[in-house]
Amino acid sequence: MSLSVTLAHYLAVSGVVFGIGIAVALGKRNAIAVLMGVELMLNAANLALLAFSRFGAAFEAGDAPLAGHAFVVFVLTVAAAEAAVALAMAVLVYRHRETIELDRINLMRW
Amino acid sequence: MSPLDQLFSNYLPVFLGTGIGAILVISALVGSRLLAPYSEERNKGTTYECGMLPIRRASTNVGMRFYLYAILFIVFDVEAVFIFPWALSYLAVGPQAYWEMVVFVGILAVGLAYAWKKGALRWQ
Amino acid sequence: MNLEAFHFIGPAIVLLAGAVLVLLADLATGRRACVRPLAMLTLAAAALYAATQAAADTGGQAFGGAIGVDRFTIYVALLLIVITAAVVVAGEPGLTRVAQRGEFYALLLASTASMMLLAQARDLVAIFVALETTSAVQYILVGLGRDARASEAGLKYLLTGAIAAAVLLYGFVLLFGIAGSTSLADISRAVAETGDETRLAVVVAFVLIAAGVGFKMAIVPFHAWVPDVYQGAATPVTVFLSAASKAAGFAIALRLFYTGLGGGDTPVSADWAKLFGVLAAVSMTLGNLAAIQQTDVKRLLGYSSIAQAGNIAVGLAAVATGSTLGPAAVLFFLGTYAATNLGAFIAVIAVGARVGSDELRDYAGLLRRSPGLAIVLVLCLLSLTGLPPTAGFLAKLYVFNSAVQGGEQWLVWLVVVAVFNTALSAYYYLRWARTILLDEPLDPAPFQPPAATNAVLTAAALGVLFFGIVPTPLIDAARSAAAALA
Repeated sequence: MSLSVTLAHYLAVSGVVFGIGIAVALGKRNAIAVLMGVELMLNAANLALLAFSRFGAAFEAGDAPLAGHAFVVFVLTVAAAEAAVALAMAVLVYRHRETIELDRINLMRW
Repeated sequence: MSPLDQLFSNYLPVFLGTGIGAILVISALVGSRLLAPYSEERNKGTTYECGMLPIRRASTNVGMRFYLYAILFIVFDVEAVFIFPWALSYLAVGPQAYWEMVVFVGILAVGLAYAWKKGALRWQ
Repeated sequence: MNLEAFHFIGPAIVLLAGAVLVLLADLATGRRACVRPLAMLTLAAAALYAATQAAADTGGQAFGGAIGVDRFTIYVALLLIVITAAVVVAGEPGLTRVAQRGEFYALLLASTASMMLLAQARDLVAIFVALETTSAVQYILVGLGRDARASEAGLKYLLTGAIAAAVLLYGFVLLFGIAGSTSLADISRAVAETGDETRLAVVVAFVLIAAGVGFKMAIVPFHAWVPDVYQGAATPVTVFLSAASKAAGFAIALRLFYTGLGGGDTPVSADWAKLFGVLAAVSMTLGNLAAIQQTDVKRLLGYSSIAQAGNIAVGLAAVATGSTLGPAAVLFFLGTYAATNLGAFIAVIAVGARVGSDELRDYAGLLRRSPGLAIVLVLCLLSLTGLPPTAGFLAKLYVFNSAVQGGEQWLVWLVVVAVFNTALSAYYYLRWARTILLDEPLDPAPFQPPAATNAVLTAAALGVLFFGIVPTPLIDAARSAAAALA
């Protein structure tokens, strides 16, 4: 048995990061903190994508189709676009309410 | 070499780096505390020891204006993410790649023009 | 240069180009008047393009198989264009608190384009990017306007949407790991060969994906955003979300689960059939129970849309058990639901613009104040309940029939739950109808909605009645669209 880093290790790390991300996203009451949790979840997915892509049968066979790597670039873009919209929305809410604590954003029943 | 040794030797540089970094920081802090003179005076804790009196607390929120710049920065940051793989595969794809990038950058340019016209770049 | 590929996404390109033009025209002239006709023109051009594709029976794949055209994508594209056109034509009175007209119409067009691409996507990367573009644009649409409630709704929509997207992405990653490819065709082959070792991974993947897509479809338990967003957003945006976004959500669910995870014949299809069965039953029941207590009509329609999503999900559950009627029933339901919801919400816009609020009591005696408006609204409410001779009745009939045809015992029970829920929903729909028809008006002054509103209302009412009596054209279209999916 070799103790080198395998697919399982990457997936374990990715799973743990995803778990932390979802705990933060669902547990925090500050909008920016929730977004940080989402960012962790997305990056956990990126890590798993790269690991699957690198350890996949096609890569081992030598003809490296980088589907997973390409996917990661798009996920990064989407995450950036989402972050831009989120920042803008947070600024907008802050201008109206002077807070981005979700407990106090309650004009409508939740 | 046993598997455990192999794993350890793979990560040896990381462990060494971490160790040296920790030793440097701790020795600098402890050393300065031991060697340098230290005043217990209350004014030691203020922002400026002499000169102007600080007004308000040092920890304030980042101004809202910075967020606008952050949003615009993200857009062009991501543009670069696409330009690198594009540049690498440019010769393989051929002239079509050129026009596709022109359209892509053109759309971002329209976005920038929009932000400019709306006054998002003005520092009010 | 390979222009053939761009022909396949032609309608979406037309819409996106139109969106950029609308934005530039708004910047250059600064006048509101010029953007709406430009948006209408763009929609007409896109509809024409999609119609020529339909007439030529264009089909095939492009961009390395990531994007395809078939009757399913054209059905969804035309449905989306019709919905957006109705919003553009009749939405104006509901935009009193949205000063940014250029942005509104540009975002509306961009959102429609990305939903069309979503229906065309056959690859996980394309699906993810299209879905997130759709969402990001809709977050801004919801947040537009000077209303503090709108920006609050936008932030809530964004936060729940971002979490749902991340969960969905993780499901996609697992599928990629199992299949070693992002193409849905490869994935369906890999899933069909699911053995005991990969079974758990496949099940986890489709639970995560169901959560992500469930957010778009607005089914329980991924519905928490619906009432707040429906109430907080400007009403035209709410119409758009309730008709177009829901249609896109179910379209991508069909594509992912029916094509990607394989109809009724994979080792795991029984699992996701039951998943959607349970979600359908819970959505209908909770949606209806919550709707009964509402006094704000936009909130009421929000909860009602959750319950209706439950009805459509019955069709999804039927799809998984190998019912051949399932996909067609879902598509037919989406078409009729769009017509019905457009009618109801545009009536709400008209009343809201006149009264300045969306309270249920403001609808008292609407029949005497604005008879045409009242009749269309009541007709739509009957259709939402599912009473003949409206299209809503036939839609429910087809969906329930497809479930019974699935042949499983529990599906029959699901239909029984659905029928009970129809009775439950009749309580609040008909109570609203009675308020309109019989109650004393608070303010007896009659009023007349704008001509554009009247035109769209008439079209919606005719659609609801026509497809309730002569459903064959729409059913045939839905059938051939569904056949393209398999």
